[in-house]
Amino acid sequence: MTTTSDEITTALEPPPGSIADTYRLAMPLIRFDAALTKGDDVALTVAPEFVHEVLERGRDDARLGMNLLRNLTAVDWIERGLELVYHLYSIEHRHAVAIKCWLPGEGGAVSSATDLFATADWAERECREMFGIEFLGHPDPRNLLLDEDLDIHPLRKSHPLAPIEIEQGVDVEYFTKQFPPEEPVRPQEKAADEADAAAARPERKPDAELTDEEREAKRAEQAERVRLARELAAARRAERAAGAPPAGGPRPEGAPPPPAPAAAASSAAAPEAASAPAAAPPSDDRPPAPPPPELPTIPDAEEDPEGRAAAQSERVRIGRELAAARRAQLRGE
Amino acid sequence: MTTFQQTVEGEVLTEPVVVEREFETVDMNINIGPQHPATHGVFRMVLTVDGEMVKDAVPYIGYMHRGGEKLSENLDYRGALGYQDRTDYLAAFNSEWVYCNAVERLAGIEIPERAEYIRLILSELNRILSHFMFMGAFGTDVGYFGTAFTWTFKERERIQDLFEAVCGDRIMYNYFRVGGLAWEPHESFVEDANWVLDQVEVGIADVDNLMTDNEVFVARCRDVGTMSAEEAISYGVTGPMLRASGVSFDLRVDEPYSIYDRFYWEIPIGERGDVYDRYLVRLEEMRQSVSIVRQALDQMPSSGPIVAERLPARLRPEPGEIYMRQENPRGEYGIYMVADGTDKPWRVKMRSPCFHNLSSLRPQVINSYLADAVVALGSIDIVLCEVDR
Repeated sequence: MTTTSDEITTALEPPPGSIADTYRLAMPLIRFDAALTKGDDVALTVAPEFVHEVLERGRDDARLGMNLLRNLTAVDWIERGLELVYHLYSIEHRHAVAIKCWLPGEGGAVSSATDLFATADWAERECREMFGIEFLGHPDPRNLLLDEDLDIHPLRKSHPLAPIEIEQGVDVEYFTKQFPPEEPVRPQEKAADEADAAAARPERKPDAELTDEEREAKRAEQAERVRLARELAAARRAERAAGAPPAGGPRPEGAPPPPAPAAAASSAAAPEAASAPAAAPPSDDRPPAPPPPELPTIPDAEEDPEGRAAAQSERVRIGRELAAARRAQLRGE
Repeated sequence: MTTFQQTVEGEVLTEPVVVEREFETVDMNINIGPQHPATHGVFRMVLTVDGEMVKDAVPYIGYMHRGGEKLSENLDYRGALGYQDRTDYLAAFNSEWVYCNAVERLAGIEIPERAEYIRLILSELNRILSHFMFMGAFGTDVGYFGTAFTWTFKERERIQDLFEAVCGDRIMYNYFRVGGLAWEPHESFVEDANWVLDQVEVGIADVDNLMTDNEVFVARCRDVGTMSAEEAISYGVTGPMLRASGVSFDLRVDEPYSIYDRFYWEIPIGERGDVYDRYLVRLEEMRQSVSIVRQALDQMPSSGPIVAERLPARLRPEPGEIYMRQENPRGEYGIYMVADGTDKPWRVKMRSPCFHNLSSLRPQVINSYLADAVVALGSIDIVLCEVDR
């Protein structure tokens, strides 16, 4: 990425009288680089060795009173290193500030803030596992969100998104030994196929590199394709208007006619495979089902509730009889 | 150490004879979770107990970690919006709103007033919905198995029906957009919302009558999981939990965003910082949210655009950063977003209120009864998808 955070930290200066001045007044020996963020917060950058002192004195100073550590995170700026960000808030004075410091890209270390803010415990554990920043003096620096024995830093920009995510938690060497990658079944044939495909595929140049003749030829070819497609579409439309079935093309001679709607349920899934053997009408030796009998119509519930109940039970009776008869017929009785 | 009081037969003693005997007790570890109904999700804690007293608690999280921040950094600004529904799924509108606001302020997009009102109404309704869910689940934790859950779900269902009519989904709404809303809400939105509010007010009173004065409920909740204000602030606790500890901190008032300065309402504050106060604060917050939504429905312009003018097809905010935070039902939900001038955010950090609230569980349950540990955990109102992100 071309952007560095130089542009961000120097873009906007906080107005006079902001919290940055209070910090400078309270800690005159520490250098603060102040900036105004897009959210109108003040961000103060200090040297990493002063972070703990700034947090502690900011919390205890009566003018600042920064007692709520609301957020702790880092930003990986690849070539400039890691930027550690503490977002603080004062419940008493109702003002907010962000304290930042720069750490080397391979990790680096700062003093832990767990002795100042109890919530820094989990926040630092998360920051440590995600970015590889060491917090010196942390009482319990285990992984928090990641697997306990996983030593990766996923939120660094160098951590790729997909492949390691798939492999994480798995010993890759062991995994490849257990499940060797599948080899092609017929390598020679596959190679030959690929060569054929490559030969059949004409070499394509980007449009900018074409000569004038080639461009003309390409345009003519495209126009020919469009013409053919239009003709085909017109022919289809005419066919449909004449009542012919919307088939994918002329049906070969001797192919069976399209299946009747009653028997279509099994073979209708592949209409274009009309000539394939699978689509032939079912030639089983089962006797055909008898035609369905007339069923009584069910009257409306409000008009004739008794007649409705009777008609329904009549339907059920007929259905059961039919099913029994069909079962007996299929059993050959 | 156990103390016995013994009397000697046949003698009248002026002072009781106290015999002290040391019994050797063995600490026992109890594993709760990650699959356990009392943990409200995949959360695991290992409790060290001495008899019935909890001596230590070690929480384990991360079972729901999906790398949402990394995913958001690899999608463009609009693409990662749907992910916000999957963090706090009980308050999806609120989380979407924070994300949209963060991107809009980074890119300098002004959204129309009507969209602002609709966002606020839906988010406040979502707060009521989320607190209803808390009442139901928490009632189950303290022993109202069934009644609290069914009663509150009945009310929650009404709000969800309204949301479904607005955006077609019941949980993962994905209705807010960077620059406005996805589409106009249905025609009878205002009438429906007013009707829902009437019903919900009755529902809140029902829950109040069912739980607040119940002797068993009070006995299970009073002076359980107590946290002082200093302790709560040190643990980064926000939202109703912090207010129950007596700290008046509500981002809607203290760092006002959107149009919250146009309404009047009150912030309920607890006195003791125990589980019962957290329940009371949430109950009162629901009433205040009803009031906010009523005011917003009255003020809302009846027509007008819901999408900002001149939205760029591809969002490329200038380099800069923002920490956008808003008051979600569970506390301060923040999006720390760093733009680098391309169409993808360089860094997205989600500040989850549950993450910090849950870290305060350990001091709450130490030296309490094992049964109270479950109540204390329930009172935090965790959503594990938001804790782990």
